[in-house]
Amino acid sequence: MSHRLDFVTTHATEFVDLTDRIRDEVRRAGLRNGRVHMQSLHTTLGLAINENEPLLLHDFESLLDRLAPAGAGYEHDDFARRFEVPLDEPANGHAHCRQLLLSAFATLMVEEGDLVLGRWQSMFAVELDGPRQRQVALQLDGEFARSDEQVSLEALVELELARQLMVDPEPVASPMRRLVGLRPKLVQLTAGIGPRSDPLRAAELAAAVELLHNATLIHDDYVDESTHRRGRPTVAAAEGPERAIAVGDYYFAKATRLIAQIGNGGVTSALAEALEAVCASQIDDVAMRGSYPGDRDSYMRVIRGKTASLFAAACESGALLSGAAPDVVDALGRFGVLLGTAFQMADDMVDFSPSSGKPVGLDIRQRVLSLPLIYAAEDRVVGPEVRRLLAGALGDAEVGRVAELVTASGALPRVRQEAKGLIDAAVRELDAVELDGLRPALAGLALSAVDRIS
Amino acid sequence: MSVQLLDRELDRLEGLWSDGLSETYGSYLDAVGHFDPEMQPKLALAAALIEAGVRLQGLGGRAAPPTTLLIGDLCLARGSRLLADNAPLAVQVAFARAIETASSAAAAGQPAPALRQLLRQSLGATR
Repeated sequence: MSHRLDFVTTHATEFVDLTDRIRDEVRRAGLRNGRVHMQSLHTTLGLAINENEPLLLHDFESLLDRLAPAGAGYEHDDFARRFEVPLDEPANGHAHCRQLLLSAFATLMVEEGDLVLGRWQSMFAVELDGPRQRQVALQLDGEFARSDEQVSLEALVELELARQLMVDPEPVASPMRRLVGLRPKLVQLTAGIGPRSDPLRAAELAAAVELLHNATLIHDDYVDESTHRRGRPTVAAAEGPERAIAVGDYYFAKATRLIAQIGNGGVTSALAEALEAVCASQIDDVAMRGSYPGDRDSYMRVIRGKTASLFAAACESGALLSGAAPDVVDALGRFGVLLGTAFQMADDMVDFSPSSGKPVGLDIRQRVLSLPLIYAAEDRVVGPEVRRLLAGALGDAEVGRVAELVTASGALPRVRQEAKGLIDAAVRELDAVELDGLRPALAGLALSAVDRIS
Repeated sequence: MSVQLLDRELDRLEGLWSDGLSETYGSYLDAVGHFDPEMQPKLALAAALIEAGVRLQGLGGRAAPPTTLLIGDLCLARGSRLLADNAPLAVQVAFARAIETASSAAAAGQPAPALRQLLRQSLGATR
């Protein structure tokens, strides 16, 4: 598996710590045991493993400067003696010589889905002739986490969903034909952990969870007056609220029946409790719109119920179905809460991304709960204008201006950082329990939840 | 029904109790006599919440305004959770099928069956 790491340097000499990004690549790829090979794609960019301590990095920089000082009469810089020299060729003989002292290659070992690094070791790309746009090539090899099995598991849940919809009356079934989302994948993965793993029953449960989730979305779209979801008209917009209520109820009932028929009381209770939390939080969400955009504590409380509870129940119910130990079920529940919260934060950020395919500012227009908006409204500089605009009618101009202010406020990097921190915390929840080798796959899925804001 | 049970299960829905839910609950009591005494109020309340929820949503009629729909959804979810925690599997399945019947009729624009009758029959389901 090959990949490229792109980054921009800002100084002539600079130590860029790539450790977290490489660790993310390992998780995303689901590499369990093996190696990550890295190669600098430049002649003035080296690779090195050492300690990320600012004063030490300054020592390294001084050392390189002493060993190969800039402007010390390098023949490479005598352009009159060279052929076909580009007009923008820099005098960088010192940078090439410095690179010779480093290495253009590095290999890191991977065990149990994580990099094998000593406590103080970090993996650096060493810029020797910056600032520049840089690229490091990555190849991962070794034992990957059940990649073929994952593909067939996804196919299984899609087949099960198709089978369930095939027997439904057309008036209710037609709006439900959608792509399978993250929640069923969590069910399927966690259902592989315990001693009673059964892919067919896991697919039935995963399909039921997806139907339950979609049922709640159909009612949400009516409440939020949303006209489109995932690029398609909502049931409420296309066929009216009466139909939306009926279709939502039908799949709520069908999903609860399918879950009950699986015959595991723990699974049924976990999902019923989550559904109740979703509905209660939706009421809180709408109530908060009176004081829009609200505050962080209220936001966290609402999304804990509205989004994170079903993620947690998806993880718990899969594990319960497989007969996993109680400490594993609990750890997966905590993993699901953190993942669901990060997922919602990432979803909020999509509203400010012109490349998302969704109109920018749709959440603002619909006064949907949004953490970037909360942070921007609390910002000392842009906050007063954001609050003033949100207090009035929101036409195109106002929505556009609010989106500009949010982008300028620094709220988006703050939310991005917070979401990534939650993903890290979620993955740490998996460290203390035995997951039958599924940790890398779960970690990879967690990372994919916030990939869209990277 | 015990005050503690009501306190917990009517959280956020207290207003409904005096607004007809009490009578709806009463109408299911004679259909739950064959269950353990401890289960009877929970199952009657589950049925009453589901009936009230569907009524609030306006299923099969004019759609409820969004905030009322959400209260109806919460009634359905809480009734469903009460069933999940207390009802035999056959009753859980029968309740779900009753709602499927009512909602598919509504989606097709057909006359809705009498939900109370369906739910009372569901409480007697054994398989």
